[in-house]
This record gives sequence, C-alpha cells and structure tokens, in this order.
Amino acid sequence: MSHKMNAEQENMLRNIGIVDFVTVEMTEYLDTHPFDREAMEYFNHYMRMKNQMMRDYAVKYGPLSLSAADTCSKEWKWALQPMPWEGGC
Amino acid sequence: MWNYEKRLQFPVKITQPNAKLAQVIISQFGGPDGELAASMRYLSQRYSMPYNEVAGLLTDIGTEELAHMEMICAIVYQLTKDLSMDEIVASGFDKYYVDHTLALWPQSAGGVPFNACVFQSKGDAITDLTEDMAAEQKARTTYDNILRLVHDQEVCDPIRFLRAREIVHFQRFGEALRIVQDKLDSKNFYAFNPEFDRCKN
Amino acid sequence: MQDYNFNEYFDRFPLAMAYVPWQHLTQIYEDLDKAYCTGTIFPELTKPFTGRRCVQ
Repeated sequence: MSHKMNAEQENMLRNIGIVDFVTVEMTEYLDTHPFDREAMEYFNHYMRMKNQMMRDYAVKYGPLSLSAADTCSKEWKWALQPMPWEGGC
Repeated sequence: MWNYEKRLQFPVKITQPNAKLAQVIISQFGGPDGELAASMRYLSQRYSMPYNEVAGLLTDIGTEELAHMEMICAIVYQLTKDLSMDEIVASGFDKYYVDHTLALWPQSAGGVPFNACVFQSKGDAITDLTEDMAAEQKARTTYDNILRLVHDQEVCDPIRFLRAREIVHFQRFGEALRIVQDKLDSKNFYAFNPEFDRCKN
Repeated sequence: MQDYNFNEYFDRFPLAMAYVPWQHLTQIYEDLDKAYCTGTIFPELTKPFTGRRCVQ
C-alpha cells in the first residue's frame, strides 16, 4: 500500500537525501584523497547538517535510523512506519 | 558492520505499472553487471587489500551499491505491484510470476539466477581494481541500454542517477589504482603481489 | 593518416598499466538539488547519456 506524505515530510526527506548524498560523494573522494583538508571540512559541515536534520525528522515523523528510534515510546515506529520502497522514498 | 537508514538514496516514485520494463531492469538487481554483483565484488575484495585507503574505498562503494540494489528493487516492485492478471500474461511476466509472484528474486533479464561467477575477487590489488573499473563500465553500459528503452520520466530519473554513480565510481577505482601504483616499483608493477608476497606496510 | 598521439610522458607513465587522471577539488555544484538529480556533486564527472539508435 502506498503511503501519502504531506509536503513538509516529503521536503524534509528529500533534503536529508541531498545532504547525505554530499557526504557520500565526499567520503569516496576522501578515501582516495585522505589529506585533502578542504574536502574534510566540506564533509564535516554536511555530516553535522545531516545528523541534525535526521533528529528533526525523527521527532516529527519517526526514526530514519535505529539511533533515533527512542524518540517515541508509545509505539515501535521503526517497524510500524511504511517501508521506503512503497513510493514515499 | 552495517546500519540501515529507512529511506532510499534517491527517490523512486513510479505510478505507471510496466511489466516489460521490470523484466529488463531486474538485470541491475541479479544480473552479471548489476548492483548486487558490484556490492559483493567490492565487499569481498576488501579483506585481503593491504592498503587501508583502498580497503576503505571498497567498503564505502560496496555499501553504496547495496543502497543502489535497494533502489532497483524498489523500481521493479513499483513497476509490478499493481499488474492485473491480463497484464501479467500479455507481457510475458507470467514466467517470473509463477515462481516468485510479485516478490523480488535476484536474476538477470534472461532468467539466469544471481551467482558469484559473475564477479571475481582475485586477491591481487592491480587485478581486482582493474576488475572493478571494468565492472563500473559494464554497469554504465547496462544503464545506457536501459535508458534507450525507457520513456517514462518517473523511471528515467532514478536510472540516470544510478548511471552517474557508475562514472564517479570508475574515477575512484582509477584513483585507487594510482595509489597502488605509487606503493609499488614503477619499473615493474608486477614483480610481486602486494596482497600475498610481502607483509602489509 | 595521423598516428595516435604518442606524445606521452613515458617516464611518468610506464607501459603495461592503466592510468586514470587524478581529480582535484576544483568545482562543486552550488545548486545541490541539481547535483542530486545529476547523480554527482562534481561538474567534471557529469557525463550524460544522449545516445540514440539511428538505423540507416
């Protein structure tokens, strides 16, 4: 069953995707350029941003990672939320 | 070890079922040049790699390929989940459906089950990185072939994303090979196998 | 007919080996949404596919 997200949730999720993507690109670049200071600063900046965005998202819409799964104690949202392949991304 | 984030690396939102396309795109799941093959190749090669930067790169790219495998599966799932029985029969998808219904099972477009013979983990740094560069090109070519068949923007967007990643990975593996070259004697890169003949460092 | 360009740095690039040029951190897309859709944050690694089968 497809899950319909509101515009804000969809937006937050997409922004997390974008910021995480930057960290993935930088990680792989740094693997072959391990002394590139500028790249490391770039990575640090976007990783911090991503971590904050993940926390903010978890508070409103449920955890995207198990490290944020303690934001709600009423139910085990980690399992109850829709799965990412359902079309909500 | 691995963590999981409950999201796709790039959005997959397909509203139009297409069984014929699903049968082709599944090759990037279980086919010879698909994302599962890529992931298993890199994650296997990393253990005996004597240079940390290269082992790190194999780990990071191998992990990203799992996320790509997930995207391909999401694409195939969304292309098939609302098919009618008539569509299943008319498209030839019935041959897959009879064994798997609408589940995802790693096979190539031609029906060859995923197997480790599609990749090598040879235990020689130069050989394995050359294999990896070839793997990224094979994957890119497969995506080129898929793009010639796809006209639906909803499918094109994630496929184009995945294709672009192959080119970036090729660059990275090429750089990893340059790192390995630096560590060896340029007068003869093949004098010995750094994974076997000497200790690390 | 021209020969292939054999004007290469033989001393820096010994034979019987493959060499990919090093990427340097020169350019990153300012528009990260565009980078995301493109599939890379590096304009230098952006190589889109525009092939079309044209049968004579």
